[in-house]
Amino acid sequence: MFDLPTTNIGGPELFVLEFGDIVAYFSPYTAALFVFALIFTVLAIVSRPERQVDFAFGGDAYYTKEVEANLLRFQRFMAIACGLATLGAMVTGDVFNFTLFASLVGITNIGIVAAYRNRHVLNAAFQYGIVVMLATVPLFGGAAIVLASTGTLSMWELFTGAVAVPLFAKAFLVLGVMGEGMAPFYIAKAEITRAQGAPFVLMVHVSSLLLFLRVIEIVLSM
Amino acid sequence: MTPNQSIITRISAIISRVENLTALYALLAIVVVVLGLVTLPFIAYQDDQLYEKTLDPASTLDPYDRGGVPFGTTPVKAQYPENSPYAGYVTAYLTPFSQWLADTTHHMGTTIVAHPGGILDEILYNTRGLDTVVETSILFVAFGIASYLFRRDD
Repeated sequence: MFDLPTTNIGGPELFVLEFGDIVAYFSPYTAALFVFALIFTVLAIVSRPERQVDFAFGGDAYYTKEVEANLLRFQRFMAIACGLATLGAMVTGDVFNFTLFASLVGITNIGIVAAYRNRHVLNAAFQYGIVVMLATVPLFGGAAIVLASTGTLSMWELFTGAVAVPLFAKAFLVLGVMGEGMAPFYIAKAEITRAQGAPFVLMVHVSSLLLFLRVIEIVLSM
Repeated sequence: MTPNQSIITRISAIISRVENLTALYALLAIVVVVLGLVTLPFIAYQDDQLYEKTLDPASTLDPYDRGGVPFGTTPVKAQYPENSPYAGYVTAYLTPFSQWLADTTHHMGTTIVAHPGGILDEILYNTRGLDTVVETSILFVAFGIASYLFRRDD
């Protein structure tokens, strides 16, 4: 009974998974994003953190930055949670469910960077946290406008030509995901990347990039 | 800032500062909201809602009365009814103790909202089980971050 209404964007469906009204789907597009997120989640599970070295100019001095075991465990947990949230956001077939996964990605990103003691990193993480908090309003507001104006949240209904989603709701969704994932705002991330513990910090980038690719697909299909 | 700098240099100097990030995002949000408010009168409310909501101020379960008979069958609107053969309204899942509390006192509504499940229940609907899982995951991750930051100096 499930046939993707628009196959020209995501390609034909490969697999469908029903959770009540929430019907997740794998098209070539979302499956590719899913596999990408899966690879990076596995990398976060198996890899060890990088060890940064700071060289002092004008001398022979250098500092090695050690990653504490506690911090390592916590960050690895957050990176894996972030990967799982990204996996969910890639394949979900419901707008509200997608916004929930997006906000889970946002909060795990905060968790990855919040545990550092470096002042620059914490400053960037603070600005980033404010934006993430702010972004929940347009994110869930977009989903609410979709529900109010169409009466449904399922992408299987919204992707059909019969249902018209207002442009305002789409703009809100994109704005919300921009804030949660920070995809276009790379300034804060450049500061965050100064932090040690590369594979876990890179999860911030991967998740936001994939999230943004996914919301573009949703907005174009609606 | 020297006066002969190009406009692009000035803009990139502003947006390259982390401290301006929040203001930048707020500006973007304001632009979208203002444009949205202009188009808002043209958006019509869809009367045929999938997740409809009715409020009954007289009920002892107010505002959490979703209708339905405990341990009975209740018709539920679902997008895909074949995926949820056992669907019923959330209020139909009261435990006997909660039902007794609702029958004898007027505080059950506030009791439900006093624990996280009640807040979730307000947002969520019976046929949307995966939402419940994700929502609680968000709560647990938030608690995890807060407790790690609070206790890391121990």
